[in-house]
Amino acid sequence: MNSLSSISENVSVGCEKAPYQRVRVIEHEIFAHRTRRIRIECPEIASRALPGQFVMLRIPDRNDPLLARPLAVYDTHTHLERDRTSSFSFDCLDLVYLIHGKFTTALEQIKVGDELITWGPLGNGFSLPDVDHLLLVAGGIGQTALLAFAKECLGVKRFGNPFRPATLSRRTTLCWGARTGSFFGGIEDFTSSGVDVHLATLDGSTGIQGTVIDLLNAIPPSLLDRTHIACCGPEPMMAAVGAWATHHSLTCDVSLEAPMACGVGICFTCVAKVRDSTGSWDYRRTCVEGPVFRASSIDWD
Amino acid sequence: MPQRPLQNAPSSQSDESSCDLSVSLGRLKLPNPILVASGTFGYGREMAGYVAVGNLGGVVPKTITLSPRIGNHPWRTVETAAGLLNSIGLDNDGVVAFVEKQLPWLVACGAPVIVSIAGATTEEFVLLAKHLEGVPGIAALELNISCPNVSHGVDLGTDPLACRLVVEGVRAVSSLPLLAKLTPNVTSIATIARAAADGGADAVTLINTCLGLGVDWRRRKTLLGNGMGGLSGPAIKPIALRCVYQVRQAVTIPIIGAGGIMSVDDCMEFFVTGASAVQIGTANFAEPVISTRLLEALPAAVAQLGSSRLADIIGTLTLPGASATVPTIPSAQ
Repeated sequence: MNSLSSISENVSVGCEKAPYQRVRVIEHEIFAHRTRRIRIECPEIASRALPGQFVMLRIPDRNDPLLARPLAVYDTHTHLERDRTSSFSFDCLDLVYLIHGKFTTALEQIKVGDELITWGPLGNGFSLPDVDHLLLVAGGIGQTALLAFAKECLGVKRFGNPFRPATLSRRTTLCWGARTGSFFGGIEDFTSSGVDVHLATLDGSTGIQGTVIDLLNAIPPSLLDRTHIACCGPEPMMAAVGAWATHHSLTCDVSLEAPMACGVGICFTCVAKVRDSTGSWDYRRTCVEGPVFRASSIDWD
Repeated sequence: MPQRPLQNAPSSQSDESSCDLSVSLGRLKLPNPILVASGTFGYGREMAGYVAVGNLGGVVPKTITLSPRIGNHPWRTVETAAGLLNSIGLDNDGVVAFVEKQLPWLVACGAPVIVSIAGATTEEFVLLAKHLEGVPGIAALELNISCPNVSHGVDLGTDPLACRLVVEGVRAVSSLPLLAKLTPNVTSIATIARAAADGGADAVTLINTCLGLGVDWRRRKTLLGNGMGGLSGPAIKPIALRCVYQVRQAVTIPIIGAGGIMSVDDCMEFFVTGASAVQIGTANFAEPVISTRLLEALPAAVAQLGSSRLADIIGTLTLPGASATVPTIPSAQ
């Protein structure tokens, strides 16, 4: 049954889970080469967001770019001049994006104080593992889906409204690969939270020369006891990490980066081939049944 | 069909709070003209958090087929200049699962449910209509004879005879009002619309997507996994308006306009051109709350024409070359 009798009375339109809002840009800064961090003021969304979830972001009042784009929840924040009577745990959401297409090129031009349209938080997010060691694996811009999860598992920050109970991991490691060192942004966000960061670049400009698989192979087997992997990056990289996890008998969740048109399950764009326990596959919508899937359930084609 | 001269606008002052938005599409009566298009609103329940679904003029859930369809290989959509190219491939769980799992929620929420059906042959359309005959809560059927992504060499919506036979076949087994959703990818959409009317359609929905192609020249590959796709969004609005314009002059059955509607101004353009109702499509993706927003803003726009009844402004466009008086149009009653 629908309880929304008059939507126009509400400032934020939408259901409790995913408000649709016009929001203000609080900060917008260079984060790394061709990479920007944007902070938007949206207490309802920030307070509900779970690590691994995403929001849809759209530039208002224009038809080109037409559609919103999904962006991972990077982190949440609270204003310094915070109203202490506020019932929201966070006021702002941080999103990090790579400038690489029509939308992100237009988004880069958005100024502090400008407004954007957003709805979320969307998707399932990461489940909390009961392990001793959380092993995060990022490729390219994929770290954006992993910071909040690292903070949650290390007990640095709690997420959800009400806060979801976190099972703390004793150790958290990030293995992060990129084409070249200038693309690494926010390394200190991970290190300052207590994450052990290992870097690899294809050109050897930062960290070891190689891929995240080379970083994973360098981990002493004794450190892989009671370990769970959370991974986000380009598909071939996630497929390789999933195979590596299977080879080492480790569980691995991946956050898929499928193109989306709506983010809410109505367009059937963002499908991924997902296998069930019988081994047969079906197209599943990444936006509503993901974006986080068990790596072993994905048919990587 | 009775002919009815329309009142000259603007008339006396009109009160937008008492604007009559009700729509008559032949036998099909709708509370208002803001519908949502098939394939752009899921099965309705996905949108419950964004839209007061029960307040809509009608919901057309995602097209169903006789058997489940897995859909097309990704990528399934790609954004183009002010548009969206899609080749979803009618990914759906089939009519049986639809009636069991999706329809009850939609019926309970209260909006008229117009079930969109698609078959590869006339026989499949007839079987679908038979399956849905007598199922409680269905207000009408929309015959999707125009999906550009599932053709098997036979395109029922591009051949006038095939179109008439499909509508006739369904008409013979269904007691429901029938809407024929037509493709713009034809030489004369007026001819196809006449065929649909001859076959017994209560109304036509104009338009489905325009066949298009997206190319990645660097990889020398098509952007969509299935090659060609259907273009929708603001980019095709002039094409949709042109189709309404042509069909309005060719048939007397009511028209539901669809294609690139993003604003109340867009809605009004369709109404004045001759659409009795509109379907919001791609805009649901870009702005999930849009159908509610348009519905709330519509009375003020109708009032701008000095009218307190939506029905009074339908098809009031002055045709080029005609005298400046408001033209006479067939009644939508």
